[in-house]
Amino acid sequence: MVYRASHTTRHIYEESVAQSVNELRLTPRGFGQQSVREVHIEVTPEPALWRTRKDWFGNEVTTFSIFEPHDRFTVTASSVVEVLPANMGVLPTLRWEEARDILAEGIDDPALEASEFIYSSPFVATSPELAAYAKPSFAEGRPLVEALEDLSHRVYKEFRYAPKSTSIDMPLGEVLKNRKGVCQDFSHVMIGALRSLRLAARYVSGYLRSGAKYQGAEASHAWVAAFVPGAGWLHFDPTNDIIPSEGHVTLGWGRDYGDVTPVKGVTLGGGSQLVEVAVRVEPITS
Amino acid sequence: MKKSKPAVGRSRWDEFRYAPIPGHWDEALLPSGFPRRHWRGLAVALGRMGIRQFSRSWNLGQQLIQANGVTYNVGGDPAGKERPWPMDPIPFVIPNEEWSGIERAVKQRAELLNLMLGDLYSEQRLVRERRLPAALVYANPHFQRSCYGLTLGSSSPLQTYAVDLARSPDGRWWALGDRTQAPSGIGYALENRLVSARILPNVFNQCRVRALTRFFDAKRNALLAMAPTRRDSPRVVLLTPGPHNETYFEHSFLAGHWGFPLVEGADLTVRDSRVYLKTLSGLEPVDVILRRMDDAFCDPLELRGDSLLGVPGLMQSVRNGSVAVDNAIGSGVLETPGLMAFLPGLCRDLLGEELLLPSVATWWCGQPEPMRYVLAHMDELVIKPAFRKYGLHPEFPARMSKAAKAELVRRMQSQPELYVAQELVNMSTVPVRTDQGLAARHAGLRVFAACDGGDYTVLPGGLTRVAGEMSPVVSMQLGAGSKDTWVFEEESESPELPRPTINVRAGRSSLPSRVADNLFWLGRYAERVDSGVRLVRSLLPALSGEEDFGRAASLETVVRLLAGLRYLPENVPDLPLGQQRFHLQKLLSELVYNPTRMSGIGWNLKQMRRSAWNLKERLSADTWRVLQQLESDLSRPAPGNPDQRLTAQITLLDGVIVTLAAFGGLVMENMTRGHGFRFLDIGRRLERALQMADLLRAGIVEAPTGNDSALQLLLHVADSSITYRSRHLTMLRSDLVLDLLLCDETNPRSLGMQLSTLREHVDGLPEHAEAGRHSLEQRLALKALTSVRLAEVDVLTRRDKEGKLSPLSDLLAGLRTDLFDLSQALTAQYLSHLQTARLRSSD
Repeated sequence: MVYRASHTTRHIYEESVAQSVNELRLTPRGFGQQSVREVHIEVTPEPALWRTRKDWFGNEVTTFSIFEPHDRFTVTASSVVEVLPANMGVLPTLRWEEARDILAEGIDDPALEASEFIYSSPFVATSPELAAYAKPSFAEGRPLVEALEDLSHRVYKEFRYAPKSTSIDMPLGEVLKNRKGVCQDFSHVMIGALRSLRLAARYVSGYLRSGAKYQGAEASHAWVAAFVPGAGWLHFDPTNDIIPSEGHVTLGWGRDYGDVTPVKGVTLGGGSQLVEVAVRVEPITS
Repeated sequence: MKKSKPAVGRSRWDEFRYAPIPGHWDEALLPSGFPRRHWRGLAVALGRMGIRQFSRSWNLGQQLIQANGVTYNVGGDPAGKERPWPMDPIPFVIPNEEWSGIERAVKQRAELLNLMLGDLYSEQRLVRERRLPAALVYANPHFQRSCYGLTLGSSSPLQTYAVDLARSPDGRWWALGDRTQAPSGIGYALENRLVSARILPNVFNQCRVRALTRFFDAKRNALLAMAPTRRDSPRVVLLTPGPHNETYFEHSFLAGHWGFPLVEGADLTVRDSRVYLKTLSGLEPVDVILRRMDDAFCDPLELRGDSLLGVPGLMQSVRNGSVAVDNAIGSGVLETPGLMAFLPGLCRDLLGEELLLPSVATWWCGQPEPMRYVLAHMDELVIKPAFRKYGLHPEFPARMSKAAKAELVRRMQSQPELYVAQELVNMSTVPVRTDQGLAARHAGLRVFAACDGGDYTVLPGGLTRVAGEMSPVVSMQLGAGSKDTWVFEEESESPELPRPTINVRAGRSSLPSRVADNLFWLGRYAERVDSGVRLVRSLLPALSGEEDFGRAASLETVVRLLAGLRYLPENVPDLPLGQQRFHLQKLLSELVYNPTRMSGIGWNLKQMRRSAWNLKERLSADTWRVLQQLESDLSRPAPGNPDQRLTAQITLLDGVIVTLAAFGGLVMENMTRGHGFRFLDIGRRLERALQMADLLRAGIVEAPTGNDSALQLLLHVADSSITYRSRHLTMLRSDLVLDLLLCDETNPRSLGMQLSTLREHVDGLPEHAEAGRHSLEQRLALKALTSVRLAEVDVLTRRDKEGKLSPLSDLLAGLRTDLFDLSQALTAQYLSHLQTARLRSSD
């Protein structure tokens, strides 16, 4: 499926901002299942020192500064992306404990690389509580993929989707206790639960196709990828209880939200602010 | 041999009563009690001095520490937990042949860690080839992913290195820990040297102690040489987290020693991918940053977003190659003791040599085999966090309850990679001065190395730290002491010649804007405290009913003046006398004793102290003491009995006036007349001028006609009664009073005096206006001064038909506006880039 995606972020400041430095992670990432045909990012006011680079995880980062005083700041990223259906061929049947041991030993290069994602990260601290939450899905000897599907399904069922109920500063322990949140929280819970069992999980930032009856469309979205030895990274969307496929456009991935924040900056001045985000992802016929 | 004491006639070494503890290596004495060879000179010298003379010398040493303001902030608390640097007068002594071994070993370790650092942030060959467990990197919160690729351009990302050493009972040295981010201690080591050379001058010279200065010169040159683009005069800055940091003294000491500006994150800004220092003369490019800030705080955009201590955009500038940072950001990854177990193998791999300095036996729990060993031998080990984090301390299972130990084991099993275990080292002991003579304490030695061209150079000596009691943990945070460290020169060694240094152009007005801003406000608040105290002191007698200076302090006049100054509601002068008295009593008491009342004395003092705190390294120890005195004066509780309260208040305020005068005097006498002084004095003058304008309005314009007592009160508040009486043997006349307080530029309290000084200061500031034209602040200062110089007091004091003094009222109102505009203009021109940074993120 080919999509045209556009993502606009607008900040309106109470007081004038004298200058700002910024980092964007708004360029969709090319990989096996996705190819990026076109990307265009527009910023007002006039940005200076525009640069792009790849970060540690391989995501494209755009950095720039604004030196003129401003009270409005707008970023629009437009792209054309082709997404292939997820390959749901024959999946390995290894037990989850085997996967855990493979990661612990880092037996081959993919396992060694994936082992980075079994530890706590700034927004996802592992804990006995998260391990206990995961446990019902991870009975002894259960095949890994089955357990992953079950955990994703449980997070979907047991947590309430409640926009504006959380902020990114809320500790994961609180989210686990309150059982509600938005897609970031759903993803962080699942990632934290997996890591607390010492399985590898990463955070994927992206979009949902517009018009779908899913939570998180029309805004930026997040889901989970878990490492399955022999098959690589399998994606799960615990917010919607689905396996991401043709309807999910990937921007990038990291350990948690902090590694792939779409729009981030440090401003001088500004006071309080209003933020508006709008996302459209429409299929185009090619 | 018959003698078992140093062979000196009349030695009083016995007086020191030093007895080492059996089972430990003592640095001074052999097990027989006889001094070790390298300690004999010191023992003889101490024996000659005897304990009493030694104590006298030590008193001198303590005074030096006080006078130099050497401090260490425990827990970084601004409220006064800052302690004098704890130093012990007896040096730690190392013979040269032993030192050469340490020196070689430390160099080798620095080289090894430098290579590892380069690899971890580029190819990660060590991880991919499994020579280093991936968890030590990936689970390590000090592995900064945004620094990946940054060190590729630099051959020596590890510029500054320190290692903590200890000696075991068999006499061997062991490395306990590596410090690779921003090691602290060399400044304190140098301070210790300055003090110890003063208290033990003879023995210091006899023993030919190796000098430290060459290392400092080398380090300074190395910093200048780090400038990425060869400019004739590279600018190096020392970046500090600020006065609350525990080693802030050292930051300011080193900056001063090397002549580099000491800056905080807010003093730097990034433009066109270069780092600039915001100074009074504008933005000045920075080439090299010596940071004393942890990795995570250096750039709030790319590193830790919850801290705004650093410089937003710094990482991008480093990436661009326009600025060099010492140590490379990200170097904290090497501080994990978990690496120690792997160093011998890595040393063979990377350097093709055996590791010279063994690390204390270390088991990283992230691997099953060592973990099993650790669980089986808990009681013989110390368990440490593998990754340093504020608030985490070593744990000693042998001394833990069963439950606590079980809980520790549970934590270790759930995240084993976060723990290391180390053998407990029975550290050697050293003699430490106590009130009862010398006592044995455990000691550790921090040794410093700096990259100097292609090689590392090692500070001959270091920072010796001693445990407070016979405690196994030596940490400055936990209240340990320190010692100077002496390395003796080889007999044949030629004295070390100072090396040529790279010159840095001096004399540029690189006063950071933040400093100027703090000085400006320090001046303003100091003046507010001063004028508040003077006002209250002049008005208090009105309450007593005594009329000790004529009718000046009559209740009514005082209440009217205070209403005019907007301290009391406008309607109070019309109330019955009893109620006036009540209001006055309440107000004056509040102004003195209530620190939360805005515009009260206590409140202004708090603001004054806050500004002063941000200027810590620029204020002398004396100035600081004066501020502390003021604070303790004004924090005394009010006496319960109202009668006593009045006398107490007057005595208190008299004392405060003297202390404030001491503050002013210290500033005048001790500050160089640069832009810093200028901003402080501009603050004072501006504030005093504003206060005087208000006083004249309330005391002349708004006072009832023909009221001598108001004039008298005015003179008293303005501290000008004596001058008036000595000049005019006449009755009080409003034109003469006005002349003295408004126009007379020789009266230090007059408006004219403040304005003419302001104008001089403003003219002396760095020029921003086009050549030949006056800047806005120059024009405003000149306008205000001219309006006063052109004023005719007899015209101004002539009342119109309605009995009003409109021209004077207009003049004072105009002056007020000009002064406010001047303050605004100065802020906009010189201090404007001081806005706070905020982090924002959105989806």
